[in-house]
Amino acid sequence: MSTLLTYISVSDGKVKRSSLEVLSRCNQLAEENGLQSDALIIDPKANEVAEKVKSYGPSTIYTVQDPIFKNHQNTPLLKALATAMDQINPNVLAFASTESSKDILGALAANQDAAALADVSEFDLTDNSVKAKRPVMAAKIISSVESTSYPTILTVRSGSYDLVEKSVDSEVKEIPFSFDESELKITLKEIIGATGDKIDLSEAETVIAAGRGAKDEKGQKLVEELASLLNGAIGASRALTEAGIYDPSLQIGQTGKVVSPELYIAVGISGAIQHVAGMANSKVIVAINKDPDAPIFDIADYGIVGDLYEVLPPFIEELKKIKSS
Amino acid sequence: MKITVCIKQVPDVNAPIQIKNGQLIQDSNRNILNAYDASAVEAALVLQEDHGIDHVEVVLIGPEKAKETIRKALAMGADKGTHIITEDENSFDSFAYAQLLAGYFMDREYDYIFCGKQSQDTDSGLTGSMLAEFLGLPYTTNAVGLEMSDGALTAKRQGDSGQEIIEIPSPGVVTCSNDMNDPRIPSLKGIMQSKRKPIDTISVTDLGVDLSEESTKSRINSYEEKPERKAGEKFEGESDEIARKVAQLLDTEANVI
Repeated sequence: MSTLLTYISVSDGKVKRSSLEVLSRCNQLAEENGLQSDALIIDPKANEVAEKVKSYGPSTIYTVQDPIFKNHQNTPLLKALATAMDQINPNVLAFASTESSKDILGALAANQDAAALADVSEFDLTDNSVKAKRPVMAAKIISSVESTSYPTILTVRSGSYDLVEKSVDSEVKEIPFSFDESELKITLKEIIGATGDKIDLSEAETVIAAGRGAKDEKGQKLVEELASLLNGAIGASRALTEAGIYDPSLQIGQTGKVVSPELYIAVGISGAIQHVAGMANSKVIVAINKDPDAPIFDIADYGIVGDLYEVLPPFIEELKKIKSS
Repeated sequence: MKITVCIKQVPDVNAPIQIKNGQLIQDSNRNILNAYDASAVEAALVLQEDHGIDHVEVVLIGPEKAKETIRKALAMGADKGTHIITEDENSFDSFAYAQLLAGYFMDREYDYIFCGKQSQDTDSGLTGSMLAEFLGLPYTTNAVGLEMSDGALTAKRQGDSGQEIIEIPSPGVVTCSNDMNDPRIPSLKGIMQSKRKPIDTISVTDLGVDLSEESTKSRINSYEEKPERKAGEKFEGESDEIARKVAQLLDTEANVI
């Protein structure tokens, strides 16, 4: 039977929620179109991770297990994906949109003579292609796109679909794979600034984002305090990551991470379109800025016009009261 | 050593855009050098200055009008340009562009190919790694820093959780983020010099690439305005008071605390 295959993103043994959202969507499309929905895990402990994916309803969970997949490297990942596609022959291969999947999407499509649709926010099937919507022009415009044939490979923005658990008897099938270090064309020498155990910004339910207005130590402290109170992840505007105040992996915007949390609190961020492109799909947006004309107020559900040093302390205090009551 | 940078002319996303009957209406006079490609050109020029790279060239696929964007890159400091001329209107997708570029590079000499990591209008980010695959070259994407020592290039790639330090042998492909640098603004001298720098013009058919129907694998059917997010309530006044008020509303009205 024709298959919709979802690639399950794994980081340090943890399954990324965004890839389970994609799997939930593929399950739904498979049901509507009489197709099969399968999953693919490529990880040093893929078979172990497969157990965690079973409750999300793929018919078959294909695994490729090798120590080489400990860190992202495009050469072995491409070889594994090409091997899996040759064996499974899916109509669709869907990824959550991450820096890793963006790294290989084009090359894999070229390798498989497949269509590629990047960073879509919706997708559906026709008889022989995939229809999708994707934001363009710094996310000001939505384009309706279509692949011309199967196989179609796509990456899907996080938060585009809800997670739906589905209990089925998944079968785990390991795909034989070998990779010799001599096949590595590029050399990964080290990884710096790995964020480790912190809350994953792209999947956090609450995001506190710091902008130029919060660049000094006092501002950073307040942002940290608010984030830890709300169990949120910290993000930053390009101005602050460029200034080296926050790690570049925390940049939110067109070039950085795209987030869609339940609650987004923009602290001292003016709201340039490149920033808004990365956060406009947040459910509730709070903006704190002393400039009443800052464009961020045009999209904020709750705008607080004021100096963040005067606004944040009572804001945090009031939230503490609410949380403890 | 030679670095060739693939560049593209794109609409300025900051310029006003209209949609009519599902199509984008844009003022082509507001077309610019893709910002990510500008960073790629800048990166190549910095390497040239610091490491004595012999040649920095640019190649562009686009209509006649896009020649101005090649001039821009030459004014920044690139030595030579190649213009692969297309019709004003074409329906090429990344797959087709990458095949054309692969056809161009096939019998040419280069050590590294740089690209912007994506086009600022469509944000697909496919062409660079497709090109690398078509040419069978090692590549890395989303580079935020580049260093060269003993003729070998090391890229700092922004990954999902950290920055990957990656060595790429030559020949290889690197796609560049705009976080890498601030592209220089051409000087008057640069602009004058650019007028005397060579631009080769070649047609798509000269490349000998068979662009059959299967070479374009996706199409854009239509555009629509993004449903506008409406501004909610803006609170002004005594900071202490409005801060507490919003905190309470987040709990009682928005239900997100």
